Amino acid sequence: MKRTMMILFLILALACFPALAQAEATRLTIYEGPKTMTSSQTAAVSVNGYELFVYDVMVNHEHIWNANTQPTTTPMTYFDFEGKVNVSINMPGLEKEVESAKVLPQAFGIVPQVQDGTVSFTLTEPGQYTVVFNDNVNKALHIFANPLETDVPDPNDPDVFYIGPGEWVMDAIALEDNQTLYLSGGAVLHSIISVANASNVRICGRGLIDGSDYPAWNQAGSYARVPIDLNHSKNVTVEGICLVNSNCWNLNSYSSKNVTIDNVKIISGRQNGDGFTFQSCTDHTVTNSFARTWDDSLVIKNYSGSTKGITFKNMQVWTDLAQSMEIGYETDKGLTLDPEISDVLFEDITVLYNFHKPVISIHNSDDAFVHDIVYRNIVVENAMMQGDNGNNKELIEMTLQNSAWSTVRDEFGSIDNVLIDGLTVINTADGKVSRSRLSGHSDDNRITNVTLRNVSILGNSITDLKAMKLSIDDYCDGITIE
Amino acid sequence: MKRIICLICAAVLLLPCLALGEEAEEIETIVTIVSAPEQTKAERPPCFPDPADDYIPLPETENFALNKPVKAGAHTDVYVEKNVNDGKTDTYWESKGFPAEIVFDLQGSFAVSTVAVCLNPSSIWEPRIQEIAVQVSQDGETFTEVAAAEKYPFDAATGNRVRIDFKAVQAAYVKVIFTLNTSSRTGGAQAAEICVY
Repeated sequence: MKRTMMILFLILALACFPALAQAEATRLTIYEGPKTMTSSQTAAVSVNGYELFVYDVMVNHEHIWNANTQPTTTPMTYFDFEGKVNVSINMPGLEKEVESAKVLPQAFGIVPQVQDGTVSFTLTEPGQYTVVFNDNVNKALHIFANPLETDVPDPNDPDVFYIGPGEWVMDAIALEDNQTLYLSGGAVLHSIISVANASNVRICGRGLIDGSDYPAWNQAGSYARVPIDLNHSKNVTVEGICLVNSNCWNLNSYSSKNVTIDNVKIISGRQNGDGFTFQSCTDHTVTNSFARTWDDSLVIKNYSGSTKGITFKNMQVWTDLAQSMEIGYETDKGLTLDPEISDVLFEDITVLYNFHKPVISIHNSDDAFVHDIVYRNIVVENAMMQGDNGNNKELIEMTLQNSAWSTVRDEFGSIDNVLIDGLTVINTADGKVSRSRLSGHSDDNRITNVTLRNVSILGNSITDLKAMKLSIDDYCDGITIE
Repeated sequence: MKRIICLICAAVLLLPCLALGEEAEEIETIVTIVSAPEQTKAERPPCFPDPADDYIPLPETENFALNKPVKAGAHTDVYVEKNVNDGKTDTYWESKGFPAEIVFDLQGSFAVSTVAVCLNPSSIWEPRIQEIAVQVSQDGETFTEVAAAEKYPFDAATGNRVRIDFKAVQAAYVKVIFTLNTSSRTGGAQAAEICVY
């Protein structure tokens, strides 16, 4: 009996002994920054005791359009892991020592410890995390904790362009059929990538595409350099990389189809710095990605033909300017016959902050038929819309009016069958419910069949239009809250 | 005695577990550190060899048009004519429609025999054809044709540039006239640099 007990003790002890529990060790990949660059002086970050290289990237706290705006910077860092990591942060670049910190999204339930100005917390799942210090969004730290890389392309494959760690510059890269561009973690690439009339193209890695070497596109002598530009292409995959400091839009797709985007992180602070922007595209899926932008974060338009089958799922959005999830304003810029935007899904979207214009918006500013649009499980952590001179500060806005971006001015379209199922607003600028607005155009051009379901604002369930502060004009039918 | 040995044995083996439990910050970690190469400046990625060796060669003599006064008609968006002789092929001029004339004041009379029209050499500028003629003048008012309108192919493989050679002539003003651009992305003429040799 005693022998049995002894054996049992031994088995128990061995099971607990961590040196023998290799399978549970954390696997961590960190990336040195280029030797030509220095890590941020604003933030110092380590994971499990290993110091990370921190980049200062452009963002913009000016929450109104300014053609000559000057961005500021915020710290950003990234690593890959599987298992568990302790993150430790110091912020020497803040004017005031860190006394409090929040880790966003709030839904993750991460409560950081703050001691002597050091912030620490534990992560057990890859994801995008934003740390706000002293209840001030200035110098918020973005941490992109990627999953470990898989399916890294073979550098010896003649169809693979393999860019390793380091700082690289090249005016532009044009990818053709069946080619892959791999941008390693630790790489900073000053260039733009064009995929035009090509198919079966892959862009992947962990590195950064950095547009800081060019002035904003609208400044004298400059021009738009879209870091990833898909044009009339199909079967394109973009994975894992970061786009920072773009001088214009970020990940653009035009008249393309079958595009898959996963774990792409965008941070922009300059003019027209739209995030994921698709025009006249079909069958695009964006998952597990992040967009902090100084213009529309997720945006769908029609430039030449119709749009169909666009999904954004499990996204985080921080909108410093314009709208978070925008359909429009251009819905028929190409003057095509019977333009439509249909079968669009926004699902599991967390809006960390929106500081300017509506969170959910359909601005059918030309003559398209916009229909079958679903917003499911949308969480707005901070709905701080200040609008422009008192206008455009709605939570939800759907309109059928001309705008500065209209191409078709004498004909109008319609909006039909929109479902918002699960909308939670946690915080607003004034502690009140933000207003919303639906406005059609005429008897022939109406907004119809819009259903809001499972809406909660400031902790209160919203079950009627009045509580929702939703204004509806005479050209809307079938607007319901369940 | 055996019980005591048993307890000691268990304690010895369990202690590291308990100790690590208290030091929760120390997580056993298998780390991979991806190192950066030694660099003193940003470089061209090695996987993209420099294609400049295949570019159409330009004269190595003085470019008389560089940074000189230049005039053109209406331009598209921000693509003004001063971009066309600023010495940079990453800025460009784009006219609003055709024909598009652009005139260089060379600020002096020079013997000229070549006009080069360059686009950005990047391959994202897809192959296109532009129709171009060249005229020269001594007074800026009366121009004489030295190269009749001809269709020139632009291809990134040869630097997205064309070279228009003609018999040497004395000129104080050079006018370049565009009448066609087959690019699907514009309705006007485009040039990143126009050089006069």
